[in-house]
Amino acid sequence: MTEDPSPNAPRGTPADAGGRGNDHPPHATLVRRKRVHVSAVWVIPALAVVVALGIAIQRILAEGPTITISFATAEGIQAGKTVLKYRDVTIGQVTGVGFNKDYSQVVVTARVRRSEADLIVKDTQFWVESPRFSLKGVSGLDTLLSGDYIGVEPGTSHESQRHFKGLDEPPPITGQKGRRFTLQAKDLGSLEIGSLIYYKSLPVGEVEKYSVASDGRSFKITAFIKSPYDQYVHTETRFWNASGLDISVGKNGSIVDVRMVSLAALLAGGVSFETPDFASETPVAPTDFGFKLYSTREAAMKQPPAHTRHFVLSFDQPVRGLSVGAPVTLMGLAVGEVTRIGFTYNPKTLAVHPLVYFNFYPEEAAMRFPSEEQAAVRRNTEQDAQRQITMLRRLVEERGLRARLRTASLLTGQQYISFEFDPQAPKVKVDWTRNPLELPVAPGEIEDLETKLESILGKIDRMPITEIGERISIALRTLNGTLSEAQHLLRDADTSSVPRVNKALDDVDRALDNANATLLGKGAPDQEALRQALEELANTARSLRALTDYLERHPEALIRGRVSEHSSAGGRQ
Amino acid sequence: MTQTLIACPGCDLLQRLPPLAPGERTRCARCGHLLAKRVVNSLDRCLALTIAAAVLFLLANVSPLMGLSVVGRTASTTIIGGAVTMWRHDERITAAVVAFCAVLAPAAFLIALLTVLVTERRASSRGLPTPRWIGEILRWTRYLHAWSLLEVMLLGMMVALVKIAEVAQVSADVGIFSVAALTLLFPAIMAHFDPLEIWQRIEWTSAPAAGKPIGAAPGAVTHE
Amino acid sequence: MSNPGSSAATAGVIGCEVCSLVCRPAPGAGITLQGGGFCPRCGEALHSRRPGSIQTTWSLVIAAAICYLPANALPVLTRTQLGSAPESDTILGGVMVLYRSGSWPLALIVLIASVMIPLGKLLALGYLLVKVQHGRISGPHEQTRLYRLMELIGRWSMLDVFVDAYSVALLQLQPLMSVTPGPGIVFFAAVVILTMLAVEYFDPRLIWDASNEVGSVT
Repeated sequence: MTEDPSPNAPRGTPADAGGRGNDHPPHATLVRRKRVHVSAVWVIPALAVVVALGIAIQRILAEGPTITISFATAEGIQAGKTVLKYRDVTIGQVTGVGFNKDYSQVVVTARVRRSEADLIVKDTQFWVESPRFSLKGVSGLDTLLSGDYIGVEPGTSHESQRHFKGLDEPPPITGQKGRRFTLQAKDLGSLEIGSLIYYKSLPVGEVEKYSVASDGRSFKITAFIKSPYDQYVHTETRFWNASGLDISVGKNGSIVDVRMVSLAALLAGGVSFETPDFASETPVAPTDFGFKLYSTREAAMKQPPAHTRHFVLSFDQPVRGLSVGAPVTLMGLAVGEVTRIGFTYNPKTLAVHPLVYFNFYPEEAAMRFPSEEQAAVRRNTEQDAQRQITMLRRLVEERGLRARLRTASLLTGQQYISFEFDPQAPKVKVDWTRNPLELPVAPGEIEDLETKLESILGKIDRMPITEIGERISIALRTLNGTLSEAQHLLRDADTSSVPRVNKALDDVDRALDNANATLLGKGAPDQEALRQALEELANTARSLRALTDYLERHPEALIRGRVSEHSSAGGRQ
Repeated sequence: MTQTLIACPGCDLLQRLPPLAPGERTRCARCGHLLAKRVVNSLDRCLALTIAAAVLFLLANVSPLMGLSVVGRTASTTIIGGAVTMWRHDERITAAVVAFCAVLAPAAFLIALLTVLVTERRASSRGLPTPRWIGEILRWTRYLHAWSLLEVMLLGMMVALVKIAEVAQVSADVGIFSVAALTLLFPAIMAHFDPLEIWQRIEWTSAPAAGKPIGAAPGAVTHE
Repeated sequence: MSNPGSSAATAGVIGCEVCSLVCRPAPGAGITLQGGGFCPRCGEALHSRRPGSIQTTWSLVIAAAICYLPANALPVLTRTQLGSAPESDTILGGVMVLYRSGSWPLALIVLIASVMIPLGKLLALGYLLVKVQHGRISGPHEQTRLYRLMELIGRWSMLDVFVDAYSVALLQLQPLMSVTPGPGIVFFAAVVILTMLAVEYFDPRLIWDASNEVGSVT
């Protein structure tokens, strides 16, 4: 195949110089390969493009989702500066701050890192962390230097979400271990969110939230107790409001104890809890167990008595100083308390009597016996109701067990019920079948002071006031006579000074006449009335003397009130 | 038409341009001013470098230059951020100067140069003269290059960086490395750029004097 | 190079400033400073020498010199740190701060770039202008070298403006520390721009005109 060498064809090197024979080999076609001459310099832009693309891709890949959070205010939030932090690690940044459609909310747009994108789920919470001064102390101080940041508390949902509503306050207890319990209280007192919960004066938790119960009569408080202290909450643990000072007033009105849990509790309210000794064997309470919030430690730690006997008393006298909860004592030791005070009306005699209901706690009484005798006492008081009544009957009839209304303190006027043995007590008729059993009452001491005054007056009465009065009268008459004689004498005396003396004497005379008239004359108070007045005075004097006699023997009675032989044990556990 | 006659821009000496081999340069006989140079593969190389510079310029402007952190607070800025901050502090003139010298001039320079090079390449490959408007753009490239102060900016940033490093922790970011690369690329571009070649290929605004060999100065034209 | 040659002006031709084409002036125009027509290749107005070069350069130099005083007297940067009163620094003050804090290389750089170079430019331009105007230059090579040096170095005096701008851009960490630009910086930028323009407007060919080597055009 010979090819025509066209003028445009690339010239190859022919095998011959031309002009030879016909059998020279054909021209080989030389196809000059079109070399694309790419100079090495193009590496540079290629490299630049690669680098730029690489950085761009890396940035896009690292970019996580964009989320929006709505807040009430954008305080502390700045686009491009404020970051999102979770456990102090920056996981995103705010890219924009704007408003929602009707300008009612601030909408913060933020971008979260790809690596933390799965933290942003349905119940993730967002809030602005800024310096906060609360009763727990100061928190978020680092934001003073570093600027506010948006705190993130991831939720537990598996559903991701991109639009959130931010919280106004940091959420309670983030990420702390512990358990929650429910407390029910009639009154919040000074408790609020963040009020601390103490266990033996150690802060171990806080009030998370509270709400009004559905019936509107009490509060439901959620208390969070940190671990490991939550293990000290048993089913019988008592919670009480430890706000402020806890002043216990003894049963006889004296201040026996002042407690304060902490200054924080004083200011901000607090709750204390403790498991009473008698309930230490109860199991650990499960989460969300409900407890009642008592108002004082005393009320909380009071042991509900296992056995309670109900009795009633009918008094003849006013029971003004007696209140529900007043102690009922036996020989001075508390064995029960008043539960209700009311009236009873006897239609036949038209008499209205106060009626006092009280509880008797045999356990409390039994505890006061030495251990050897406790068993016997328990047998008698706890088991058989009939046995009990029999014993009571014996005590009332043979030993004269009577209830008396006594004054605990002259200061407060508080009264209490005291059971005493009075063998001389007059016999009473008790209806032993009545339920609740009405026990006999002895006249109380309430008129004591009046009686005493009366006796004082009696004493004054015995004084010889009458004779004194008569003698004064005689003395006055004698003085009158003397003065008349003096007058006669002076009439014979010098007439120059006499008229002056006379005048003076006249005055005296007149004065004496007046006195006379006042005491003995017509308009004078009746002698009888005078005598009565003096009699009363004598009575008062008598009573007064009796009181002073008593006070001489028991000077402390002025403060503590009159007590029987043993000193009071008070109501303390 | 290869220009052989030139008046030195430095001293106005009229002289002939010798034919140059690739890579050779010629200077004024009197004052040493660079008159002309012939670069190997000028257009291609220039274009490649300009494209690289353009890409890096984009990267440099969108990326943060450097970051600093102190007591948990962080800050970073971009090239334009410097100008914007000055503007926000009411230093409007300074802001405009910084924006011009650091962003606008280099950007315009790169765009203009790209346009010229691309158009020239296409025109030369097709055998057409370079269109006239290229001349206008070519003229601007000279001024724009004079006002592209990227290397001064780089040094300024580094001084600022050292000053800040005394009080905070600084870290260099993508932006500043891109600027450093640009600082190397720009002189490379200029080294490979041969405006005279382009001028010689450009379409004249008015018809040249017919047939006269270059050597005799063509006549100027009066027109408004 | 045996022929000493003549300047384009004496030869009666004009080299186009933009595209370097050597042209004859348009018919009717002459080799005057007013111009000789328009370049046929690029359309640029042809001038033998830059018109009004000396005047424009002088006005720019004087303006720059006027701005030089407030540029150095007024503070360029004000630092506010938590717990202390705001401190203002002038350019020289900033140099001292850098020096005292131990980074004396930086202090030197800033000193050269921000104080010496602008001052040098002002002095050099003034010197050149005076020399050119008096018409007797004995060493045109040195002058040219001076001019070329100014062309090269001039841009570096913009350094402090960038240092200022980026310091301010980064150090905004209220209330911990923050910096704000001072009033002096705009004057300093003005000095740099004006001197750069002055160098641009100055026609270096005037140096050679003023020298004794070839004829000049006035």
